[in-house]
Amino acid sequence: MTDTLNNVDNSGKNKSLLSKKDINKSYLRWYLACEVSSSFERMQSLAFCYSMIPILKKLYKKKEELSKALSRHLNFFNTQGTWGTIVHGITIAMEEQKAKGEDIPDTAITGIKTGLMGPFAGIGDTLDWGTLKPIVFALAVSFGMTGSVAGAFIPFVFMVITMAVGYWLWNRGYSLGRDSVKSILEAGWIQELITGASILGLFMMGALSANFVKLDIPVVLNMAEGNELVIQEILDSIAPGILPLVVVFAIHWYLKNKGQDFGKIVLFLLAISLLGSFVGLF
Amino acid sequence: MSFGIALFTGLWYWLGQSKIGYTFHAVICQPIVMAFPIGLIMGDVPTAMKIGASIEMIYLGMVAAGANIPADECLAGVIAIPIALKAGMDPETAVVLAVPFGILGVFVDQLRRTINAVFAHKADEYALEGDVKGIERCAILYPMLLGFLLRFPPVFLANLYGPELVQSIMAAIPEWILHGLSVAGGLLPALGFAITIFVIGKKNLMPFFIIGFFLVQYFEINIMAAAIFGTCIALLIVLMRNEERGENI
Repeated sequence: MTDTLNNVDNSGKNKSLLSKKDINKSYLRWYLACEVSSSFERMQSLAFCYSMIPILKKLYKKKEELSKALSRHLNFFNTQGTWGTIVHGITIAMEEQKAKGEDIPDTAITGIKTGLMGPFAGIGDTLDWGTLKPIVFALAVSFGMTGSVAGAFIPFVFMVITMAVGYWLWNRGYSLGRDSVKSILEAGWIQELITGASILGLFMMGALSANFVKLDIPVVLNMAEGNELVIQEILDSIAPGILPLVVVFAIHWYLKNKGQDFGKIVLFLLAISLLGSFVGLF
Repeated sequence: MSFGIALFTGLWYWLGQSKIGYTFHAVICQPIVMAFPIGLIMGDVPTAMKIGASIEMIYLGMVAAGANIPADECLAGVIAIPIALKAGMDPETAVVLAVPFGILGVFVDQLRRTINAVFAHKADEYALEGDVKGIERCAILYPMLLGFLLRFPPVFLANLYGPELVQSIMAAIPEWILHGLSVAGGLLPALGFAITIFVIGKKNLMPFFIIGFFLVQYFEINIMAAAIFGTCIALLIVLMRNEERGENI
């Protein structure tokens, strides 16, 4: 199956049905609309279909063919908006082959989409949201703290980098077709990038936790003979910042073992803070 | 003046949380970014930046894993920054004001994503008819209109009538609640960082988190220094692993 497809890839390459402009237009549509129509039920399915419209309109001139193609891209879809774009590129390549008359079943296209959206979402979440965003934004905060306007402009670095990466992967997915998955997922550099970014990301999470998570216990116990027992001093003598560290680990433990209900955690933190304040613990 | 700022923040919140432009919206939703135009309109950019940065701190690590937002930093910013500026609050008090709005915004987003499903079903019908324009409306126009109804009015009204109201409410709230909210402001960043650790999900690399944490605790290095050390450590590890692999082969 893969072999025949590869052969088709090579023989059909000289007569592309799509122009560079079509590919770019569809990427811009994705970047613009990716999260706009997000719903609990279908996630990014509408945005995926919306981005494919310039492509499908050009490939399928018959109404029933176009209608079928539109329906097939309204299926459930969810990925990370930057690194997931390789899935779109591959989909475009497959649709082009199909329109040329190759026998590519709908299930093959849907299968590729649903099979790849998860792995690339994982990569994108780690690199973009886990590493790049907090570092860029933390730098912006350290400028903003001094009242500097630079704090408002630094975050756009994040936008420019992610836009460029998404554009590159979109085109790579299209030009290499299914082979691009192999070339990306199995290439050494991507594994190294993920490892490096994970190390940097975790290191920065530690540094940022130490800087920004704050919890003190200012309780003073009056012992016999006028001695005072300052709880915070004892904690600090074990290791500075031990309470914030415990809080981060406790939340992480909860996320891992009890599910990712952020709302519940936020309300719990709020309740603890208010209760602690009320009884005079914090 | 308060009409102008109410109009501006209402539109900004609508544009930001309609999520137009994948990482564009993620940037303009940040309190530290919106602080600049808000400061410009209200005539005090440096103070606005300081307030924006303080509020930003709470939300630094927040990642929308699976598109579920843990907090709405945009709502926190568009309401707390102008009101704090107008009332002359210090950044710490502004954070106290921001916390509840950051939590409220999550529910607005859940409402949005529930209703958005209607447009997905509508799009299915358009697809059967081959109606491309209909699908385009469902993907952009309708969610944007819904977003306007959900996002614009509360922020517009809050900034139009809010400052006096908020000040009298804050004056009436008992001290322990205000202090509790500021404690929460110190705890909430932990959620963001924990989510990010969870997203990265590499258990065997956790020592790097500990190194980063105590490097700051003991030596009080700043963010830029941490970024430099962190990058060098990450590069060294990757390079050394490569070398090892090369020798083994």
